[in-house]
Order: sequence, then structure tokens, then C-alpha cells
Amino acid sequence: MNTSVKSPITPKNLRVGVFICECGGNISDIVDIEKVKSSINADVVGEFENLCSLNGRKIIRDNVINKNLDRVVIAACSPITHEKTFQDYVKPLNPYLMDMANLREHCSWVHDDKKKATEKAITLINASIEKVKQAQAVDPILCQTTESAAVIGGGISGISTAISLAKQGVKTYLIEQNPSIGGKMVKIGKVFSPVKLAEECGMCLLNPVINEAIWNENIEIMTNTKAISAERRAGNFNILLESKPRYVDEKKCISCGKCIEVCPVEVPDSWNDGLSMRKAIYKPFSQSYPDAYTIDIENCEKCGKCKKVCTMDAIYLKGENEMIPLNVGSLIIATGHKTFDPNLRPEYGYDRYEDVITQSELGRIMGVNGPTKGKLKMLSNGKVPRRIVMIQCVGSRDEKPDGHRYCSQVCCMVALKNANIIKHKYPDTDIIICYTDIRTPGMYEKYYKHGQESGIRLIRGRPGEVSKKGDSLVVRVEDTIQKEFTEIETDMVVLSTAIEPSEGTKEIAEIMNIGLTEDMFIKETHPKIKPVTTDVKGAFVCGTAQGPKDITNSIIQANAASSKVAEIMNNGLEIEPFIAEIDPEICNLCEKCIDICKYKAMSIKDDKIYIDPLSCSGCGKCLTVCEPNAINIHGNIDEKIFATIDGMLKDKKEEETRILVFLDQVGYTAADNIGVNRVNYPESIYIIKIHSVNRVMLKHIIYALQRGADGIFIGEYPGDLMYHEVEKKMDQIRKEIEANGMNPERLEFSNVYIPYFKGLAEKFQKFDNKLKSLS
Amino acid sequence: MKNIPDKNVILFKSCLVSGEYPGIETSTKYIFDKVGIDYIVNDRQSCCTGLGHYSDVFDQFSTTIVGARNFNIANKTNHTNLAMMCATCYAINKKVAKLLNTNDEIRDKVNDVFEEVNFDEMKYEKGSIDSTENIFHVVELLFNKKDEIAKNIQFDLSKFRIATHHACHYCKVQYEDTIEGFRDPKILDELVKSCGVETIGWYDHKRSTCGAGFRQRFVNKDLSMEVTGEKLLSLKNEDTDILVHMCPNCQMQFDRYQPYISKELDTEFNIFHLNIVQLIALVMGADPYKIVGIQTHTVPLEPLIEEIEAISNKKDKELKKSIG
Repeated sequence: MNTSVKSPITPKNLRVGVFICECGGNISDIVDIEKVKSSINADVVGEFENLCSLNGRKIIRDNVINKNLDRVVIAACSPITHEKTFQDYVKPLNPYLMDMANLREHCSWVHDDKKKATEKAITLINASIEKVKQAQAVDPILCQTTESAAVIGGGISGISTAISLAKQGVKTYLIEQNPSIGGKMVKIGKVFSPVKLAEECGMCLLNPVINEAIWNENIEIMTNTKAISAERRAGNFNILLESKPRYVDEKKCISCGKCIEVCPVEVPDSWNDGLSMRKAIYKPFSQSYPDAYTIDIENCEKCGKCKKVCTMDAIYLKGENEMIPLNVGSLIIATGHKTFDPNLRPEYGYDRYEDVITQSELGRIMGVNGPTKGKLKMLSNGKVPRRIVMIQCVGSRDEKPDGHRYCSQVCCMVALKNANIIKHKYPDTDIIICYTDIRTPGMYEKYYKHGQESGIRLIRGRPGEVSKKGDSLVVRVEDTIQKEFTEIETDMVVLSTAIEPSEGTKEIAEIMNIGLTEDMFIKETHPKIKPVTTDVKGAFVCGTAQGPKDITNSIIQANAASSKVAEIMNNGLEIEPFIAEIDPEICNLCEKCIDICKYKAMSIKDDKIYIDPLSCSGCGKCLTVCEPNAINIHGNIDEKIFATIDGMLKDKKEEETRILVFLDQVGYTAADNIGVNRVNYPESIYIIKIHSVNRVMLKHIIYALQRGADGIFIGEYPGDLMYHEVEKKMDQIRKEIEANGMNPERLEFSNVYIPYFKGLAEKFQKFDNKLKSLS
Repeated sequence: MKNIPDKNVILFKSCLVSGEYPGIETSTKYIFDKVGIDYIVNDRQSCCTGLGHYSDVFDQFSTTIVGARNFNIANKTNHTNLAMMCATCYAINKKVAKLLNTNDEIRDKVNDVFEEVNFDEMKYEKGSIDSTENIFHVVELLFNKKDEIAKNIQFDLSKFRIATHHACHYCKVQYEDTIEGFRDPKILDELVKSCGVETIGWYDHKRSTCGAGFRQRFVNKDLSMEVTGEKLLSLKNEDTDILVHMCPNCQMQFDRYQPYISKELDTEFNIFHLNIVQLIALVMGADPYKIVGIQTHTVPLEPLIEEIEAISNKKDKELKKSIG
């Protein structure tokens, strides 16, 4: 590998102005400003007490205009504090033609030796001059996205986010694969209210929300429809939808119900979890939307009887799937969840005993619109159960291969809710909840106590088996508080099954190339600090598609997702221009950049590599794999790094040690912190701020070492998406350094953390000692 | 599903099989030959230590050294697929393989011992026996040959109510590798099915232990017998004729102690106990004494054999009649 690189060509005749800030003595007490001024070669060199003041603005601006400056160096504090300020002060100069030399945090605050600090200040300014000469005038990229959004999934999360978006003026398509919107919430009967210590009618709460979505002109509801492909370009999504026919024209159907009387086909009604039967022509539930019947074509015998009785002539038996293309600016995944298959726990006998049911089925039984009209009945004999045992964590908190290791969050409250409802209506029915731990945080704890006061019994223990003795079911459980093994005879057993990702969630992730968690829920960019964002820019997630949660939290997430969409829609997005650009003439379409980019910014469109400006972070990783060198970072980044290295090493003396330290945003802030806390480190440390350590390539390192740098220190925050790639790269670079006849020990790589500034200062000191011992 | 071999198999000898029910080994060999499984038995192979290990006689380190020695035999003979007749051997060897492959410190210590006693050539090489890829229970090899078994069936068992008892150390210890279910284990049910008959499937206590619990049988006899008794009562409720096993220790617990428990509970149990390989060999037409080894059983199997033969004879006559 040829690693000898020439110095970048410096554009000639550029007029540079250097403005040095005393910072009210913070800098000038240590750095001899007069000495600095006389050592700097620039067209204008000025010294001021407080450059960041409005007075400073006038001085800078007047000089830029009157002295025709092409470039400006501000020798003052950290760019993290005041870069934006001085970018503004250099107007009418392009903001990117200004660079800051950090004389405060990285010099006067960390060194005591005035002579050495002054010499270092001169070098820092020189490096800035060299760097800014390479700078190009660039403008921020403005991305304007289509003011529309697609919401995948029409449950409470999807409906809520659609309403919020519509109210903000965003055209929203609410896409639901089932014949009606409403999701899981329509089935659960009552919902718990922790504050009121009461249960409320779920449908009564949901129905007005559904109506709001129906009546909002900005929302287009598309049922029987699912996304089958999607691609993203310049912040827009091209989605292809497939819409299945309803076989009943929803505009003509008046929901009179004559058709169901004549339909000869009966199948289990999924709305009632199969506890009742429905016809092949049916309406999912009475408040379903669209308010029209539909035909379940898989079970329909096409006898035509319904067609004959329909006075509205709404029924058609021949229909084909329709493909609908959709272009939207944003996408929200609200594909919800499903519940754990109880047959995966054969020990609980779900398929052996009729009276072993799930909480969802109990919800239907207790629902006044359910199969028993709200009457609590055993499925085997129609009697009211004398005792019910509820088993928690069925499929949750389970480390064996077919279980989920996570807690499903809502099941404790669901069990308590159903138990409370039963206790109120049927005080003679004994209820025992067998739990692992009761998890009712916050206000829900009050509801839990309320349940205990109502006489619900609780046993800590995970039942081993459900068996049958005579007419009774028997639950075998170890009470782990009493340390006793017990067998509970009961009429009914209710399983609290885990929440798990729906098939729709996995499908959309596959189509969109959106990352999933190890539990197959949609993965957020950062689980702690970046909720609802996904690793695809412009795509967001809410509700149980992201993980188990209750209705309230689903709605909170839905609103969060809609406001993230609004951020993009309202003003467009202004993006820092320093992103990757590709020369299609040189590109050989090897696609290595696509594979390596963790931000999913690269894709192939029309036989060319397309870089999505919204997604590209400008980290520069793609440059390292591009063999024909077709990729570049916009704004002369490469040249700027070389020029900075030149400047930092320019006036190095024989006996002097110089270490170039490349730090990313987090590392640079940590280094600033060293200064703020007045911790000292050797004068040999010269810090260069970079966007990502990926931008520092082998060629830069070799270049610096060959031109006299004693050591290279690279620091990066390990939370960065690319961190592991960098770690792998370092060993490779050390080998190359050796191949170039230099000591690989001269390269140091370290992780950095903002609060760990003392540690960073110690690392600087240690590296300096080590390098001194090498030479 | 994991890859199950039928070549380069070393049939791992078991103390309890050899000492209590040698018919299990002869039956296994009989079936292996019929269904085409290439195997060897090596006399240098030693006990897995299981019984002693679970009775606190051998610690894990000694067990690991013994395991490494046995793996060395498998490697040297180039028969690196170990097939266990006993569930204890199965779990013990899987654990040993995992330890040797993942714990460098233990592997080094084990190899130090080999070096000390001048058995350098026995040193274990990391990864040479994989817990999942190389260690199997015989029933898994047979499951892989279900169709071959079905082709060789000569006797009809459909008259009998057959239940299965799955060994804990097959499905409750190394459950990541268990095939055909570990919560409701079904591998024996599937094998019985390949003999042309459905088992009774799920029954109460299907998943519970045999009760032996290694030393529990001796130091905690009442509890041990109570557990076995409960399972026997449940099987009696289901009118079970035959209980099928996959571990000689479970088989001992039921077969040897059934008369005792019967007396204790004052209940008659008419349940025959057979290892799955004995059952398969029997219906394939193997000699009940020379191959199946029924003479070492406590619960006499002669009535069962007679009944099976009677059914067969009757069928033969009917067949002759219909032809004639």
C-alpha cells in the first residue's frame, strides 16, 4: 500500500484574518498575546478583550468587509461553546470559512508554563490558519419532505398518531390489514383506571377516538390493506400497498344484516377469540369501521344467497387485489402485538381442558358484547365458576428456549382488573392469582391494594401443572413464601399470556430494512435517549410494535412519534453539509459501502449508489472500503485534516514531543472538561476535533508520523454506532505503521466519556511518558 | 433441527445398562444393525462417573478428566459421534464437553493432570468434541431412522396402552439440544408411533421424575417411593399396559420397585417396563432372552411376550384363512 501522501496544495492569495480573544484574562494571563501576534503570519491580526460580545461582532464584521477577508480564524474558547456565535459574526462570509483555535480549554486552562503555553497557542492558531485555507464555502442541505405520512396499523396507537398528525396538517394514510380499524383494544372489554380505582368501558373510550379519525379530512383510512414493499428516497417513502376486496361495497351497504340470516357458513368468530360463531359474511363487531359487512372469502361457498337478499345490491363475489402506490414523507409503524400461544405450555392443559382459558378470552366472556353477554360462565357447563386460578407469566420471564425473557408489563394489571371485575359482580367466586412478582408500579399499586381488599388471594409461585381430578381442575403450585407445595382445586384456570411481536411487525421490519431487537420488536435508535425513532430516518414506531406496554403508554408514544414527524414536515430539515458524496463515474457498484454503513444511508437506485442526505452522518466509514476512491466527504474534509496536521507540526523543535489527539464530539467535550476543571496535562498534546474517528484514515496517521508527530491518540465514545468497526480497524493500522518502518506503539486508541475527563488527562500523561521512553 | 449422524458412532457403554439391563445394549446394537447405523463399542471407555457424581463421590473436576479421557478414545478411533443409552451419561458428557470447550482454565488443569501421569497424548484439544454436534442419546439416532424402523416391524402392539417416561437428564438439563419437545417431551411417543401404535400421549405427571434422584432412592427413600408411586397411580388410572423408558436408572426405579410400591400402597400395578430399544427390538422380532434380555427384569415380561405372539399367531391364521 502506498501511504506516502503529499501536502495538500494551499490556495494562494487568500486573505486571512486572525482574531485573538483575551477572554477577560482567562487566556491572556497565561498566553503572551503580544508574542503570539508578532509570530502569526496573517493579513489581519487583532486582539480583543471579549470577542463573543456584540462589540466583538462589530469588529469582526467590519474587518471582514473592509479588509476583504476570505478566511477567519477565531483564537478564543472551545467551538463547542461558541462556534455558532462566530459563524454568525463572520457574516457576510460563509459560516464554514471560519475556524476556531481553542486557546482557552485546550491551552491556557491546562498549562501553567507561560512560555510553553504561548508557543502552543501559536501552533494552534497556525493549524487553524492552514485548515481554514482549505475550507470551502458550503451551504446547509435543506431537505423538504412530502407533507404526508403513512401509519401502518390501525389499533389505538396508529389511530392516535394519525389523529395527531392530521391535526397538525399532515395528510395521513391509516393502513390496516384487517377489515376494520380498532386493533386489540376493541376486544378487551373494560380497561383499568388506576386513579379512579375503577374499570371503564374500553369501547366507550375508543369509539370517540375512532370517530375522530373517521371525520378528520386529513386522514384516509385504508382497511383490508397491507404494505408489501417500500423504498426510501431523499426523505420520502415510496410504498406499494395491496388492498384486498371486501366483496361488499361499503358505500352501498347499510348494515341491515339480512345477508347473515341467509349465509349457510359458520366459522369461529375471531373477535370473540373463537368462543362464538359467525357467518362467512359478517361485520367484525358492531362499531367496526368501515360500517359495512365483508365476506371472509376463504370460507365463503359462493352460493350467492346473500347477493339475492341484499336490497342495496352491495355484494359482489368477484374481486381482485388492488395495488396502490403511495408516496409519503414519513412512516409510522404501529403494527401492534399478538399474545403467546398457550399450547407452548402443554403443562397448563389449554388444549386438554375447556375451562383453561386465556386472559383475552376471559375479557371476551366478561364483555357485554361478548359470547356470553358479559355473564361469567364456564365453557364446559355454563355454570358460574366457584373458583378461578390465574397463572401469571405464561411465556414471559421465561428463560427456556420457547419463552420470552422479558416481562410483558401489563399482565399483572390485566389479571387484577379481570379479578376485580369478577369480585364485584360475583363476590362468591374465589379468585387466586399465582404470580412470580407483582409488578404494579406508580398509581397501579393502589389498584393492586384495592384488589387485595376486595378479597383477591395471591400466591407467589409459578404453577408447574394443571391437571384434572374428577370434575375439578387441579393447579399444582409451590407457595414460595410459605415454602409449601399445594394443589388447588378450581373450576377455571386463566392464563396470562405474554405479549409478543405481531407478524405484521416482523413483516414491515423486513420490507423496510428496519432493525429489530433480540426479542423481535422494532428497535429504537437509542433505547434510552431516542424513543420512537428507528434506524431508518423518517420512520418511527409506537405502541406494542416497540415492546409490551399498556394503552396509556401506547398513546404517549403515538403522540411522540407524530411530533417527530412534524419536526420533519414543518420546516424541512436543515442538514450539516459534510456528508458523503459519490462520483458515479468512478464508482464500480461493488456495494461495499452499502454493507458497511450502519446508518443505512446507501442504496442502489437506477443502477447508481444513492446516498440519502437525511441518513448520512458523514462518519466517513464508506471511504475506507471504497477501492476506486469514488466517495468523498463534501466540503474538503480530507484536505482540511491534512492541513491541520501540517499546521500542528509546522514549527516543531528538535527536542520537543508532539502528540496529535483526534477526538470526536464526545471526546472533545471531555477534553474541554479537563480545561474547565483546570486539570493539567503535558503541553505536547495537540487536540484536533473531528466528526467521527472514521474520518481519520491510515493515510492521515502515516502522514502525521512521517512529518514528525511522536504519537497519535484517537479517542471515541463507545456508544457510537461505528465504534466496533473502529476498534477492528486499529489493529490493521498498527500493522501498516510497522510496515512503514515505524513503531506501532505510537498509535493509541481509547474510549472516551464526557464525565471521565480526569481519566482522559491521565491517559494523555501516560501516553506522553510512554512516547518519551520510546525515544 | 440439529444434524443427527448415522456414521462414526461410538456407542457409549453405561454401567447401569451393563449391570442391570444388558438387554438395552444388545437391543440397541440389534436395531443399529437393522436400520444401518455405523458404530463401534470400545472396551477402553470408562464410566461417565454419573452415579458417583450425583451422589457426591466424584467432583466435577474428576468427572471432567474422565470425560476428556473418553473423548480422547472417540477422537483416536475416529468415531466422534457419541451415542448414549443412559440419560445420565448424556447430560454428564454434554456438560463436560461444554466445560472443556469454553473454560480455558479447567481445560488447562485437566491437561496438566494428563501430563503429570505421562498421558500427554490424551490431552484434550479445544473444540474436538462439540456438546451439540457430537453428543447424542440413542433415541435421537433412532428418531432419525424412524422410517427404517417402521419397515422392520413384525408384531402388532395396537392392543396395548403404551405410555412414555422421558428422562429428566435428557429434557430438563440440556434442553437447548432436546428434540421433539422438552416441556411436553414426545420423542419416545414418536418412536412408539414408528412401531405402528399411538401412545396414550399426555397423562398426569407425565413430566415428573422417576423418583430415583440418584442417592435420594437410598437416603430419602420414602419421598423417592412416593414420587414413583404417584406416577404409577396416574398410569394405572390411564389403564397403562407398558411404560416405555429411555434411561436405565428410571427403568430400575419403576421395574425393581413396582412390587414394593404395590405392597406399600396396597394397589396392584400391572405395568410392564421396557426401554424403547427393547420395545423396538421386540417388535422387530428379536429374541426376547438373547437380545431383549427380559430375564433381568423384575416385573416379568413373559405374559406380555405371550400375548404379543398370540396376537401375531391369530393374525397369521386369519391371513392364511383369507388366502386359503
